[in-house]
Amino acid sequence: MKGLFRIIRRYSLAAGLITLVILFCNGILLMGIGYFTAWQEGADKYYGISVRLMEQIGEGFGTGGEGYMLNEKGRKLLEGSEFVWAMALDTEGAVVWEWRLPEEIPEQYSIQDVASFSKWYLLDYPVKVLVKGELLLVFGCSPGMVTRHNLVVSSVLVEHAPDYIKLVITANLLVIAVFVLCFGYRFYVSMKPVAQGIENLAAQKPVRLKEKGAAGELAGKLNEASELILEQNRVIAKRDCARTEWIAGVSHDIRTPLSMIVGYSDRLSKDGTLSKENRMLAENIRRQSLIIRQLIADLNLTSKLAYQAQPLKRSRFQPAALVRSCAADFYNEGLEGEQGAEYEFEIAIKEEMEQVWIEADGELLARAVRNLIGNSIRHNPEGCRIKVTVEEQGKGIRILVEDTGTGISENIVQNMDAPDSNVHIMGLRLTEQIAKVHGGRLEFVRREDGRYDAGICFLRSGQNQRSIH
Amino acid sequence: MEPFECKIMAVDDHMGILKMIDAILRENGYTKIISAGDAKEAMGLFLREQPDMVILDIMLPGEDGFSLFGKIRGKSDVPILFLSAKDEDADRIFGLGLGADDYMTKPFLPEELALRVGAILRRTYHAPEMQKEREKTFFLGEREILPERAAVRYMGREISLTAKELMLLIKLNENRGRIVTFDALCAAVWGDSYYGYENTLMVHIRHLREKIEADPSHPRWILTARGLGYRLAKE
Repeated sequence: MKGLFRIIRRYSLAAGLITLVILFCNGILLMGIGYFTAWQEGADKYYGISVRLMEQIGEGFGTGGEGYMLNEKGRKLLEGSEFVWAMALDTEGAVVWEWRLPEEIPEQYSIQDVASFSKWYLLDYPVKVLVKGELLLVFGCSPGMVTRHNLVVSSVLVEHAPDYIKLVITANLLVIAVFVLCFGYRFYVSMKPVAQGIENLAAQKPVRLKEKGAAGELAGKLNEASELILEQNRVIAKRDCARTEWIAGVSHDIRTPLSMIVGYSDRLSKDGTLSKENRMLAENIRRQSLIIRQLIADLNLTSKLAYQAQPLKRSRFQPAALVRSCAADFYNEGLEGEQGAEYEFEIAIKEEMEQVWIEADGELLARAVRNLIGNSIRHNPEGCRIKVTVEEQGKGIRILVEDTGTGISENIVQNMDAPDSNVHIMGLRLTEQIAKVHGGRLEFVRREDGRYDAGICFLRSGQNQRSIH
Repeated sequence: MEPFECKIMAVDDHMGILKMIDAILRENGYTKIISAGDAKEAMGLFLREQPDMVILDIMLPGEDGFSLFGKIRGKSDVPILFLSAKDEDADRIFGLGLGADDYMTKPFLPEELALRVGAILRRTYHAPEMQKEREKTFFLGEREILPERAAVRYMGREISLTAKELMLLIKLNENRGRIVTFDALCAAVWGDSYYGYENTLMVHIRHLREKIEADPSHPRWILTARGLGYRLAKE
């Protein structure tokens, strides 16, 4: 559910940011357009430059023989301007000078007239006025060129304008935030069951979502996917179960004839009437059939571990004692090799390891250790020294079995996980599986001669972190 | 009744196995052995012969071993050992849970079968003598160990053993010829783990050697398995 919350948070932030960016862009665009059109239409002349122009034209007025007149410079300026006509009024409101004055424009104005047109229009002509000495200069623009509005703003407003702007922006932001949060929440609510469904799917739990609302279709697909996965799991479990049972069945059927082989070869190997050579042969058969017995047991266990049909039996024990007991068992079961080869054990256990108790499946771990020791013995029929070390390794414990014999080849180490199963490494695979169900692993240690020794590592707590193989 | 005088009935659908069990038991001194190939025959034989012990296979034609077990238990309390090719923990636990005296899986070593049968018979018919068994004297060469007196007798003289030394010696003798790990010795004598008893155990073994070995620094009887434990040598 954290993931979903993160998505919603990002979505909200992104939405807020997008809104702000759009608002900002709009402002820039609006200003740009205003500026551009004003420039395009030449209106700026009217707004900005016109006041100066009118001043300059006003400079050109003087009194001549027929009253007021505009000098040459002023006339040229006027002709070059956007104005279409101009006039000058005296203090009485009479037109005392004119330039291209249309006929419909009156010659006499009252105070009310002046007050009116100076703010607005004179017969549809937008006009601008300038007081020059005693004269009121009136310039007319062509109708429709510009629009005049009178803006009346209270001084309170002007004074507090920055505050108002801030207020407006804040209000906008608040509205945006409220919308973003509301939509985010609705999105969260509608996606929550879907997210829960995906989580369940990942945990291989059944998913049954209501197929309603905005995420209804997604929920439907999730339900389908869940049903599919569960069905597949059922099929796999059934097949695994069948395989495990088949292996158990075959090994069961092998056991009875094997009993006879073990029993009679054992008798023959002790039969005094046979020659020494024949007794040796019988002993060989006995030894080999015991190896087959071990292989059958390993095969059974490895298939159960692979398909998780082997429950762990936890108990409290000391790994140091377990290793000693495993090694002693080898001695007690007769360690001499086929030609009387000798095996010698060295048990290296540090003092701190003597105090360590763990909780794990001791029987399984003992089997793993016996497998490793058994490998050293089986692959070195001429005898060797076997060193078993029990030591701490990080949070776990490592039981390393080294020998002075042939060791494990590079090929086996590299192909442990290869799918083509090599029956000779079944013991190692089994050891690896046992390590894994105890949250550990099989570890290979490279010797100077390039061969390897193997060790089993497992968590001190013996915590099982069952993984799917 | 001595164990060897006990009548043992073996039930298995495999004639070869029956013959072999018969041979193994006879070789180990048992003489009264009867056998049956299925549950029906077995029940008839059981009622007729009243055996003192039954060795029972589980997979039988028709009625299985578990069911036959129930019928036999309904009539008698004789010890029963399951001998099966099924090595599932579930079967083992089920069998022992029914009240079987032991459960062995095939293939088995002949010696193991004989030892287990012997152990069950002694436990069943000689329980009071088990303690005496522990207190039976035994010999280490010319030295006689007398558990009930906690002493070693040699050339007419008796040297006393401390309680712990005696316990060590008995534990080793019970597993004579086999290595007994430090852990097993400490558990038997002090009821504790090895840690903290390393030196104590070594000192006790040294004292013991001084009492039973001709040359304590080159022991003939209590042998050290380096890093593992001690072993009491066979004759």
